[in-house]
Amino acid sequence: MSFLLVIIAVTAAAAMAAILSIKIETVKRLQINLNRLKRSLDEMDEQAKLIVRTDMELNKVQQELDKRTASLATLQKLSRSISGVLEVKAIFKGIKASYLQEFGFDKSCAYLWNEREGNFLEVLSIGYTEEEAGAITQYINSKKHGYWDWLLRERPFSSISKQENKFLKAEEIESVFKTSSFIISPILPAEGSKGILFVGTANPEVAITEGDEELITVLANQISQSLENARLFEKAWTTQQSLEKNVEERTHELTVALNEVRKVSKRKTDFISSVSHELRTPLTSVKGYASILLEEKLGKLPTAAKERLEKINHHSDELVHMVNDLLDIARIESGKTVMKIEGQNLNEIIATVSDLIMIQCKNKNIELKTDIQKNLPQVMADRNQLERVFINLLGNAVKFTPEKGKISLKAKGNDEAVEVAIADSGIGMPPDALTHLFEEFYRVDNAVNQQVKGTGLGLSLVKHIVEAHKGKIWVESAVGRGSTFYFTLPIKQ
Amino acid sequence: MPLDIGIGLSTEKDYSLAAKEAVKMASMDMVSEKVDMAIVFSSRDLASIGLLKSIALSTGGVPLIGCSATALLTPHGIIKHGVAVVLLSIPETIQTTIACIQELKNKRGSESGRELADRLLADFKETRRVMGLVFSDSSTEDAANLIAGMRERLGKMFPILVGSLSGNRQPHRTYLYFNHNVLMDSALGMLWGGRLNFGMGSCHGWKPLGKPRTVTKSQANIVEEIDGEYALKIYEEYFGASVSELRKNFRIISMLYPLGISIDSEKEYLLRNAVAIEENGSLRFQADIKQGSIVKLMLATKESCFEATRRAAEEAKRNLAGLSNESAKTLNKRIVFVFESLSRQMLLNKDSAQEIKIIKDAFGPDTPLIGLYTYGGQAPLNLGSYYSDQSHFHNQAISILALGG
Repeated sequence: MSFLLVIIAVTAAAAMAAILSIKIETVKRLQINLNRLKRSLDEMDEQAKLIVRTDMELNKVQQELDKRTASLATLQKLSRSISGVLEVKAIFKGIKASYLQEFGFDKSCAYLWNEREGNFLEVLSIGYTEEEAGAITQYINSKKHGYWDWLLRERPFSSISKQENKFLKAEEIESVFKTSSFIISPILPAEGSKGILFVGTANPEVAITEGDEELITVLANQISQSLENARLFEKAWTTQQSLEKNVEERTHELTVALNEVRKVSKRKTDFISSVSHELRTPLTSVKGYASILLEEKLGKLPTAAKERLEKINHHSDELVHMVNDLLDIARIESGKTVMKIEGQNLNEIIATVSDLIMIQCKNKNIELKTDIQKNLPQVMADRNQLERVFINLLGNAVKFTPEKGKISLKAKGNDEAVEVAIADSGIGMPPDALTHLFEEFYRVDNAVNQQVKGTGLGLSLVKHIVEAHKGKIWVESAVGRGSTFYFTLPIKQ
Repeated sequence: MPLDIGIGLSTEKDYSLAAKEAVKMASMDMVSEKVDMAIVFSSRDLASIGLLKSIALSTGGVPLIGCSATALLTPHGIIKHGVAVVLLSIPETIQTTIACIQELKNKRGSESGRELADRLLADFKETRRVMGLVFSDSSTEDAANLIAGMRERLGKMFPILVGSLSGNRQPHRTYLYFNHNVLMDSALGMLWGGRLNFGMGSCHGWKPLGKPRTVTKSQANIVEEIDGEYALKIYEEYFGASVSELRKNFRIISMLYPLGISIDSEKEYLLRNAVAIEENGSLRFQADIKQGSIVKLMLATKESCFEATRRAAEEAKRNLAGLSNESAKTLNKRIVFVFESLSRQMLLNKDSAQEIKIIKDAFGPDTPLIGLYTYGGQAPLNLGSYYSDQSHFHNQAISILALGG
């Protein structure tokens, strides 16, 4: 029995040993699988680390890219709003809190150097109370040498770049400006006041990047450019103002002078008018007595005395003629001449005047040609005065045209006026004579005038008559090539 | 009388003009002339008592609840300046009430939560309560406790949607609006009951990466050790970066690569952003992580985020459809509220507005929509196996609440 038990026990032990062996084998296999699984997990975890790091980098790049894109759009908007501004205060007013927020900042201030007072002047403050802004201005000016030293380096200074000099300390700036991150960029216009642009944020979660530095530098450059534009505009404006003031002063002086000239001219006119009147009476007496004597009503005169009396009579006529011309000019100048302005047919007037002048033309064998535009509109004029104009100008043409010469009279019209041109093939005039031709008593120095006497009042009278009709008169001439006188008269509407 | 909703939006710079314009638009959007409640979201620059008084003047001083935000999500895109006013005309079959609690810093989160819930329930004894909406500018750690406190009173599985408006390292203040008061350090609650038709959906889109790790030592929201090593080591290993480098970029790293807590039988991981690195290498998170939790590093792409938005919208729509009855469907107006974690914007950046398009695609292009960015949120995720007695704090999530319809 006990043997049987021993056999059973041995068999059981063997079986258990076999089971144990199998179990051990299974555990070993499981262990191997577990190790494999653990290894796979570790490998997977390593891969996860790579994924996370790559993802982090990608996120950073994406965020920076998004921020840069948004900031550039904001910068463009901001630049557009300040680039056209030509006033310093308005330039900084254009930098609004909303733009700053789009850049990722909530505080900003700017200062410009005040040359006269030798300190920095606040021109912008966003995100600060008046008291805070005042304290910052005080701080900036207490460190003005440091800021000038930094300004001249022309580089931004920020929480990340921190190129400190002995005056500028990032921690101090963060404390004074109440920010956790900041960028300060120099404002450097080509000329004029230099300055400082500060932007920052109190948000510790906002991290400043090199991209932000570049962005604020571009903004500071844009401000510099706008300040330069404003300075140039101010300069141009000041110059223009000064110029306008000079012109105004000069105009005033000229007006005063003109009034003086007018007064003198009026006195002259009055004087001429008065003298002419005074001359006419004795002249009439002289001429009357000369006529009586010449008619020998008081007895026969010796030939010599008769010849002298004829000269007195002739010169008296000339003097009367001159005095009449002077009186006419004076009347027209003073507006005392009563003109009977009405529609006139130039064809008729030209025909009448041509008949009068034809005799003189024939005497000198001069050809007179007229060229009148068909359906020439009527002009508004005083017929007698207009005839005097034609007679004067045609008379001059005959006077200065040599024998067998040519005179032409043309007239053409448009919607507003009729232009008359009287041309001769005479001796012509030098250019310097043309500027004085219509002045009273001016006579061109030429051979004809040396031989033929004249008053020098004819063209002056013509000019006064034409201008009294609201017309214009001018002349074209060259020595040896004849002269052409033009005048215009308004048409009857 | 059905639930009537009107929404108005203004981007006027002057708060008074903005308020008037938004209320006018919202009123024109409504069929009913009776207004019972106003919900107001505005950009920070418009936050003022003047804004609320102008709205009160235009609405006849109806109860008002709302908050400021860094940006508003609107059907027309994301706007950084503006005010949105939602006006509600509430039928007798639906009940709603609002309450607030102030000076959160002087109280424990759970205590504040209980007090807020009690105030909400004071007027709400007869009607069956169905859903809560909470805005809080307490720290996010306290927000989780606040909701836990509220749940003690409202029910452990009671659906509450929370917009946490204060980040732990948030540089700007957030303001809460309660009637004509602008509040800070406060929490606001809005309780709905009766035959309200609503749907909620919340998703994040982050995916696990690498091998699972175990939280071997933690206290509330501070994780001291992971796999027996100091907690920060997980980030050191994955990013191959030194502690100083990590500290420098930790905000971005923790937002883009949070830790995900694995939940059995759930596809979605519960996300936790680390908000600080402690001196001893421990990590402080925005909400609790239990010792023994299995965690993984999480990673997302824009596409996975958009997919999450799509799922959240579909879920809200499905829940809405499930609760609606035929008569309500035809008569009630619908509005979609969106509460989006600000950290999603960091990843989506200029493509953030794409999410609005996805939501509009889900609910229809003309469905009124308004939303805001939060610093985290809570929404029912049906993750009861992890914290059976607490609501679940999410980071990175988009939460969608659809009302009416």
